[in-house]
Amino acid sequence: MIMKAGSRNLSLTVGGAIIAVIVLFVLFGPMVSGYEFDQMDMRNRLQLPSALHWLGTDNFGRDLWTRMAVGARVSMVIALSSVAIAVVVGVTVGLVSGFFGGWVDLVVMRVVDIFLGIPPIVLALAIVAALGPGVVNLTLSLAAVFWTEYARVVRSVTLSQREADYVAAAVALGSSKIRILFVEILPNVVGPVIVLATLGIGTAIIAESGLSFLGFGVEPPTPTWGWTLAYGTRYLRSDPWLSTVAGLAIMITVLGFNLFGDGLRDYLDPRGVARRHRRMSSS
Amino acid sequence: MNFKRTLSALAIAALMLPGAALAQNIRLGADVDAGTLDPRVMRDTTAYRVINLLYDGLVQLDASLQPNPDLAESWSNPEPTVWMFNLREGVKFHDGTTLDADDVVYTFETILDPDLKARFRSLFTPIETIEAVDPQTVRITLKEPYAPLLSYLDMGIVPKDFVEGGGDLSSNPVGTGSMKLNSWERGSRIVLEPFADHWSGNVPGNGFEFVVVGDNTARAQAFEAGDLDIIQSPLSPQDIGRLAEDDRFQNAIMGGLGITYLNINVSDPLLADPALRKALSMLVDQETIVGQIYEGVDQVATSILLPSSWAYDASIVQPRFDPAGAGEAFAAAGWTDSDGNGFLDRDGEELALTLSTHSEDPNRIQALEYIQFQMQENGVNASISISDWPAFSAGVRAGEHQVALLGWLNIVDPDRLMYAQFHSSGTLNWGGYSNAEVDQLLDTGRASIDVNDRIAAYRAAAKLIANDLPYYVIAYQGYQVFYSEGVSLAPDARGMMRSAARN
Amino acid sequence: MLGYTVRRLLLFVPIAVGMVAVTFAIMQLLPGDPAAVLLGEDATEEAIQDIRRALGLDQPWWIRLGNYYLDLAHGDLGVSYFQNQPVADAIGQRLVPTLEVAVVALLISILLGICLGVVAAIRRGSAIDACCMLFAQLGVSMPVFWFGILLMYLFAIQLDMLPSIGRGPPLAPALGKALTGRPADLWLALTHIAMPALTLGLTNAAVISRLVRSSMLETLGQDYIRTAKAKGLLPMRIVLVHSLRNALLTVVSVMGLRFGALLGGAVLTESIFGWPGLGQLAVAAISQRDIPLIQGVVLTFALAFALVNFLVDLLYAAIDPRIRYE
Repeated sequence: MIMKAGSRNLSLTVGGAIIAVIVLFVLFGPMVSGYEFDQMDMRNRLQLPSALHWLGTDNFGRDLWTRMAVGARVSMVIALSSVAIAVVVGVTVGLVSGFFGGWVDLVVMRVVDIFLGIPPIVLALAIVAALGPGVVNLTLSLAAVFWTEYARVVRSVTLSQREADYVAAAVALGSSKIRILFVEILPNVVGPVIVLATLGIGTAIIAESGLSFLGFGVEPPTPTWGWTLAYGTRYLRSDPWLSTVAGLAIMITVLGFNLFGDGLRDYLDPRGVARRHRRMSSS
Repeated sequence: MNFKRTLSALAIAALMLPGAALAQNIRLGADVDAGTLDPRVMRDTTAYRVINLLYDGLVQLDASLQPNPDLAESWSNPEPTVWMFNLREGVKFHDGTTLDADDVVYTFETILDPDLKARFRSLFTPIETIEAVDPQTVRITLKEPYAPLLSYLDMGIVPKDFVEGGGDLSSNPVGTGSMKLNSWERGSRIVLEPFADHWSGNVPGNGFEFVVVGDNTARAQAFEAGDLDIIQSPLSPQDIGRLAEDDRFQNAIMGGLGITYLNINVSDPLLADPALRKALSMLVDQETIVGQIYEGVDQVATSILLPSSWAYDASIVQPRFDPAGAGEAFAAAGWTDSDGNGFLDRDGEELALTLSTHSEDPNRIQALEYIQFQMQENGVNASISISDWPAFSAGVRAGEHQVALLGWLNIVDPDRLMYAQFHSSGTLNWGGYSNAEVDQLLDTGRASIDVNDRIAAYRAAAKLIANDLPYYVIAYQGYQVFYSEGVSLAPDARGMMRSAARN
Repeated sequence: MLGYTVRRLLLFVPIAVGMVAVTFAIMQLLPGDPAAVLLGEDATEEAIQDIRRALGLDQPWWIRLGNYYLDLAHGDLGVSYFQNQPVADAIGQRLVPTLEVAVVALLISILLGICLGVVAAIRRGSAIDACCMLFAQLGVSMPVFWFGILLMYLFAIQLDMLPSIGRGPPLAPALGKALTGRPADLWLALTHIAMPALTLGLTNAAVISRLVRSSMLETLGQDYIRTAKAKGLLPMRIVLVHSLRNALLTVVSVMGLRFGALLGGAVLTESIFGWPGLGQLAVAAISQRDIPLIQGVVLTFALAFALVNFLVDLLYAAIDPRIRYE
């Protein structure tokens, strides 16, 4: 038991620490470097780290430290807002479907099934192609992939809560449906949703890099980690440094959010509701 | 240095290299699978390259793009609008039938039929009639004199009886080429084997295998790992230096038949001003784009005419990279930074424009990114728009772009690059460029049979275009090929192997 | 049982209908014209209009959607604009390679995931446990295409052990030949499939190892296991017989959901390793606006997804006798 508590704290601590470092990097990284993220210098392309350029330079001679810091901001905005949209849509749909049941539930869950059946990356690609590239559209396309997960989990939690004694008691006391939904049931879905969302951020960061690799990323010169990695992969053999920096940054960040999410899960959701329903999309 | 390599490359392309490993198939990397193996409706590069081995045309273009006899042994031009072709005797298709004039007539008649959806139909629309005079003679009558015709007659000839009998050439190709289809695993590989009955009587012992690997980096790695014998453009410039230094590989860079250019939309209210177009083009740093981003495979372009073309004239030049000169030109046109925000403005309007290209070519995206940087540095608030090919091309086609980065390929004749693009009535004149003098010169170039008249016309037109700047030509595309030791054949500047695949 | 099967199949029909509509709507929103793409950049406007008519693209959207449903009801998926062949044929040629790599990836990830998970659970708190779980964390944190290219660099170029690209002989016939004593084809097929399958299976292996570990820890802590221990059964048998069954239940249910993602996730893997599968076909179809082909691929994915989940439910019942489907 002590062991378990220890490892839970460890996950939370390490994950939290990584996230804190990234937040500091996002906030202060661009300021301390002394470079603009889009300042090109073609005579100093693909430099290794030095006192001048702490992480070296990219294929246009731009300071990689600054680009990674600004890129972290862009990647975080995409990841956080796509997950946030997915949470809002998914939780609403899940609550309504689970609480009202009957034909509402039947129809809503078929819609969820339809979106689940389209492979995540195909759906995301088609939506980016339809809306055009850009931070906002990329965010929307990822949200369109992610929301089903929350809808399913929230629905099943709601279904089980609906039958619980305290809800029956609330109904007997004459509480309104809306009140029961938001006051009695919603708090119970918060735990699993927070856990899923934390893990979802990592998935979003990886998905962004995959879309960039296929040429459906954010438009240059906006730096995202996915773009830097996708570009860097093309220089893998001659200048492996570029993709190593971007790849490690993605890995460590996703690791941070995943550890944090795992720690949170043990803390908030010991029954494993979120775990059982998690649908991780690999892309 | 580069030029030397180009020269030796041309020599290599024309020759067969020693040290053949005869029985083994030669494995070529391809970036996409072929969509169809019917030459009349081919669309992608892989299809061109495979079809080039499976089929023969009436003529065959040599390294300097001059038409040489192929299925047609000889031809004559008794009147400006009449061409007579004498066919080679005893030419066999892969299905054992013999080629005659009906097959040639059938090939071009079906291409001209809109129902076939042939991509190259517009190249042949000046043809009035095509008829079989006798089994070995074909007569083509033109609506008006059309000099580029011969350059397009390397189109593969298809067997009429086979197609009319219900044969499907798109998946079951039957040509007269020195190679015939062995197997086609869609999305993966196309295997060709020698056709022993080829009319030249002289086919290599080995077959060819086109292996599809979508990702450029992965394809280069596969070549290094020895799983491919030949890789060719498109390649990632990043891989080129490394492969060139590797002793195990031979390599050749040739002047290609394509250009990379900026399409500056002359019907855009802002860009309608030629002075502004000129100032903007002085902000395009060709040297850096070609040298650093394309790693020296391409050449810095000077005009719309290709160096490999008979019409080329080095004295025709567009504006060169000159930020200071651009600044003066902007000022002369009334653009100054009156509010001190780093961007030029005029009458309260900021000088802002959108550069666009498509998402399929990372090098073009990089080039555009660099151009954007230079414009930003010099007071032009340029932004970038990148969408996938169908969306991007729909926008350009509708003339909605401002400055678009594009390319043209397979420019075997100046007419191919200029008539449709710059003639007022041109079908690909998306920006609506119109100059009566250019129109007249392009008409002359198309109708004259005397090559000297054509040269004069195209040079004069190129000079006007270098001044008007509806196009700013960034680079002459290079064609690069790498092949491993022991490979006996090398493709020509279009990546074609028809001549190399015969002894 | 039969009734259950029929019900599940009927349930797929409305989903398929809805899916066609959703895909169709997205295709309507996509800018760009298949006819223009088909003809290339040097096409004239007149030629494009001819093609639009030939493809039926000049008709209003409800007629085209209606026609598609009608054809679908007759089992006709239409003809691909770009492949010059019926959609069903185009998909048929790509389905087997995709299934090959997906199944091998699944096998690798289940084997690897269970081994790591079991070892980590038995040696809970040790360095081995830490290593296994670090692998699991890194496995889900690594972008697939980066892993694939690094893998290719290591095994195909540096070590020169595996072919870098392409598919070997078809796996199923090769397996048959190997069973009759001719293993050459199988070996060739396996060397080709190893890297794509590993790339595709990495994330899954990581997910499974975590599921197995936590499920085993949960079971190991339960009363009946303690009882079994008290009865003096061998620790190894306790681990395998009691805990693993529970762990498998979790793995099976999650894998059912993940198989769809696995099929779709093959897009990047296929493009790196030149694997002629459905993922590459899907990307090409989108970037060419090949509407019938996109519809066909999406329906195929959905059907595969539904089938696998059906199988998962049956498997579930087989592993856990308490579950019955009526």
